[in-house]
Amino acid sequence: MTVLRVRALNKSFGDLHVLHDVDLDVEKGEVLCIIGPSGSGKSTLLRCTNLLIPPDSGEVFLDGVRVNDPAVRPEWVRQQIGTVFQSFNLFTHLTAVRNVMLGLVHVKKMDRKSARVKAVLELERVGLKDKLDAYPAQLSGGQQQRVAIARALAMDPKVMLFDEPTSALDPEFIHEVLDAMGQLARDGMTMVVVSHEMGFAREAAHAIAFMDHGRILEQGTPEEIFDRPGHERTKAFVGKILR
Amino acid sequence: MSRAADSGGTPLTAPVSSAGPGGPGGLPPPRWRSTGAALGRTLYRWFPPARLARICVALAGIDAAAAVALWLGERGFYSLPFAATILPQLFSGFEVSAEAIALVIPLGFGVGFLIGWGRTSRSVLLRGFGAMYVDFFRSMPPIVLIFFASLIGLLGLNYLTSDPYLAHTVGLWFGAVALGLHTAAYQAEIVRAGILSVPAGQTEATDSIGLSRTQSMFLVVLPQAFRVSLPALGNEFSSVIKDTSLLSLIGWLEITGSGYNELFPSLHYGLQGPLILWIEVAIFYFILTFLLTSAVRSLENVSRVPGLEAAQS
Ligand SMILES: Nc1ncnc2c1ncn2[C@@H]1O[C@H](COP(=O)(O)OP(=O)(O)OP(=O)(O)O)[C@@H](O)[C@H]1O
Ligand SMILES: [Mg+2]
Repeated sequence: MTVLRVRALNKSFGDLHVLHDVDLDVEKGEVLCIIGPSGSGKSTLLRCTNLLIPPDSGEVFLDGVRVNDPAVRPEWVRQQIGTVFQSFNLFTHLTAVRNVMLGLVHVKKMDRKSARVKAVLELERVGLKDKLDAYPAQLSGGQQQRVAIARALAMDPKVMLFDEPTSALDPEFIHEVLDAMGQLARDGMTMVVVSHEMGFAREAAHAIAFMDHGRILEQGTPEEIFDRPGHERTKAFVGKILR
Repeated sequence: MSRAADSGGTPLTAPVSSAGPGGPGGLPPPRWRSTGAALGRTLYRWFPPARLARICVALAGIDAAAAVALWLGERGFYSLPFAATILPQLFSGFEVSAEAIALVIPLGFGVGFLIGWGRTSRSVLLRGFGAMYVDFFRSMPPIVLIFFASLIGLLGLNYLTSDPYLAHTVGLWFGAVALGLHTAAYQAEIVRAGILSVPAGQTEATDSIGLSRTQSMFLVVLPQAFRVSLPALGNEFSSVIKDTSLLSLIGWLEITGSGYNELFPSLHYGLQGPLILWIEVAIFYFILTFLLTSAVRSLENVSRVPGLEAAQS
């Protein structure tokens, strides 16, 4: 079953045509890694997918429902797509557990007590049981990113989008975030991950898409893309990041 | 804005020490368990030991100053009887000032908040109106606005009623409203700066979990904006307290007005008369300002986020 389907997506910023007819299919339980040079449009693709920015043309389907449609409330769509940002974006004035509770209480309309129970559960899942009442500023980068993952997971999303979730982290904290993501993948979560973490991509990803100049040039299994890239540009890029 | 209320709601949350690690002796806050201790917890948040100590020191200082003043008066350095006779007038002036402030500050904050918020909205209409409001009221001296507004009040009432007392009273309050609208322009800019200070990542995050724009505003942006705006708001509040003295010029008998009424009688005591008079007036303004800035500082304590501020004040 295709959870996320993107067809002929286009996006321009002024004169800059950032996405050219992008197609994407993500099956249920699939982990898709998107790689590509800086400025190739990876973030823009994710942000168009969860409608943080409106696509210029093209279609986005979530579980077969066309969601970039004036009749569909973008809030309703985003609630079902979890997003994890490079810079965590935790709510700085709320403790970890309240960060996770906010959407549960105000979007899912859960009562505070059960919202808290669920929030604690989600934080336990990412190994932060002992940091419930810490404010973001009291947490390390890795811990903050795990809270952000818990916050997105708590909304029971159909698919999770990760935009370079480890590239703002000190090396020592990268593995704890990747471990949490790996566990999530094993639990069968559908994920789209923009990341150049080769270890994660090889182990957890079912498919790799290589993006360049706003197009998906090539898509295949990790072995195909990393070991036998078909396209010259893929070969050059993979060569660079593997070294 | 919401933190105080928020944390009252969940007994599971450990009380957050508003004193922080650099607080009073580094002691952890006591653990309040029963819901009956909720009041104690609130009191503790608003009056942490360091703050209580400061208040005690201030009270002791006031006592000492009063004792010295009394002693000087008894020694005949100044006329104690005169200092005492004007006190009731100044006290009533103090009350009237408090009334004016009770109108001006909530009005100024309410309107300022709406205008400041409107200036950050996506609607061109709201933004334009907000900008015009701020430009207009910031370019008027408050005294001109006060005269103008009270005149409008008087003229308007002239048609509606033949009761000159009512017309005069309405004119007085119109002057206070003008002052409120004036400070609103400054507060609007403070609120706007606060809203702009919240990074875009915060609203991306609220968007990504499906909160509506209004929810995002009230649950995330405004609480953070309010927290950073508090020092500037406290500044503006204390400045508008002193601007209420301008209301004496249209006939308000607030602290300055009632002080002015005592000016000629005071000359019976020689030049020390006016001196005593204005010193007492100054003390009343100090008390008013102190009370209000203390309240704002308590709010700052309550809305402090552990780990976020580099400096602990
Ligand atoms: N809001 C915007 N306004 C104008 N141009 C934008 C905007 N967002 C992105 N761009 C441009 O679109 C192009 C693609 O940006 P995008 O952030 O999607 O790249 P990316 O593949 O995520 O790069 P990186 O690996 O550096 O994160 C870039 O040239 C960028 O300058
Ligand atoms: Mg990017």
